[in-house]
Amino acid sequence: MKPPVLRCRHVVKRYGKFTALEDLSLEVYEGEIFALLGPNGAGKSTLIHCITGLAKQSEGTIEVLGFDTVDDFRTTRRLVGLVPQEINYDPFFTPLESLMIQMGLMGVKPNRERAESLLRTFALDEKRDAYTRTLSGGMKRRLLVAKALVHEPRLLFLDEPTAGVDVELRRELWQEVEELRAAGTTIVLTTHYIEEAEKLADRIGILHKGELLLVERRESLLERHGGRSLEEIYLELIRKADGRQAA
Amino acid sequence: MSTIALKTLFIKEVRRFSKVWLQTVLSPLVTTSLYFLVFGVALGSRLREISGVPYIQFVVPGLVMMTMVRDSFLNTSSSLFQSKINGTITDILVAPIGAFEMLVAYVGAAMIRAVIVGSLVYVVALCFTWFPLHHVGWTLFFTAFVTATLALLGMVAALWAEKFDHLAIFPNFVLLPLAFLGGVFYSIDLLPEPWHTVSRLNPLLYMVNGLRFGFLGVADVSPLGSAAVVLVSFVFLLGLTGALLRSGYNLRS
Repeated sequence: MKPPVLRCRHVVKRYGKFTALEDLSLEVYEGEIFALLGPNGAGKSTLIHCITGLAKQSEGTIEVLGFDTVDDFRTTRRLVGLVPQEINYDPFFTPLESLMIQMGLMGVKPNRERAESLLRTFALDEKRDAYTRTLSGGMKRRLLVAKALVHEPRLLFLDEPTAGVDVELRRELWQEVEELRAAGTTIVLTTHYIEEAEKLADRIGILHKGELLLVERRESLLERHGGRSLEEIYLELIRKADGRQAA
Repeated sequence: MSTIALKTLFIKEVRRFSKVWLQTVLSPLVTTSLYFLVFGVALGSRLREISGVPYIQFVVPGLVMMTMVRDSFLNTSSSLFQSKINGTITDILVAPIGAFEMLVAYVGAAMIRAVIVGSLVYVVALCFTWFPLHHVGWTLFFTAFVTATLALLGMVAALWAEKFDHLAIFPNFVLLPLAFLGGVFYSIDLLPEPWHTVSRLNPLLYMVNGLRFGFLGVADVSPLGSAAVVLVSFVFLLGLTGALLRSGYNLRS
């Protein structure tokens, strides 16, 4: 097996008395698509925030390609891309300007050709000089994905990228994800559409109330549960975990 | 340190205020020019000299400083706070950018805006009353350190604020009263006790009088005393802003 691109060891994240992540250890390997599933409030975004620098874990260590995300944050952030869950846009700038700025912020010399190529890839070239506030919701979502890719990250996080997105755009996004994986990018995604994870992911992780209940290869998970769908397996695991906690 | 990221963030901040120049440059220029026309030109001719300087000239450095204080504060506070509110701060937080680069880029851009507006106010004043700068060195010193200090205060305010009302406290209820009571329009030597002594507790007094000494060679406070207050304020806010950025206060959860 290839060495892990991402290694989380005994990660704990507390917000006051509330524990969002409980002693979480996880490894993600080069070139795979890892789907992190879990109900709302399970800690999926918290984990992604700890890895990408939007939050700092209370305990434990996180490494990206062997570099610590706290001590070597400049290195790890160059290696990681994030498509955040919430749509955001800077109303002062156009899509082309936004991409050029994001390249610079990521420490890469702004390259107009690369920015224009990304705009074409995500069907935004016709809106390249429009203010981002005039873009449709789908276009803003695509711009977020393009921004996350400006520095060609080795590890890409997609935090519910298809939430509120129409079927056509969802298909386009997942096709793009497949192409990125084929090009060698490691992808960690969260989604509430379990069938998408079933179709795309190499490995599945199920997170519930800050605890990682399961990490397994998709095929073996499905095989072990004798032809049941991932959604059924997921719901059963969540119910069991809830039952254990209630008992 | 990433010099590309620092340069990009600085240019982004300069372009941000340049794109809305009517609001960020022209509006404060018009407002301050109106103050100058009313207090300096219309009323000034009826007032006697202050500290041996015609009143119309006396108010110029105060108005320039008041403008620079306000604009420097507003540039960092509004930019950083809006980024927090609309979520675009994420673009910076996931980037390989440390506290130092953020600090230099935001403060640098705010200083550029403040100096542009302050210079334009000075040019408008020169159309009515010509006078050369008395001490260029002191003028540059107070311009640089006061604008940097207020830009830092703007960053602290933006980091602390959780709604627009919080942010509005500073320009409306702190900076404007302190500027008016800091000798923009009068010399504190004209005040009776205890107001003369109370005025000396106002840090804006030292900023206004520092620039007044640079412009006119007269001031209520010695330039060294003013420089000391400005430097202490700058160092304190530099340390505070740096510590807040490094800790991720109200930025990183």
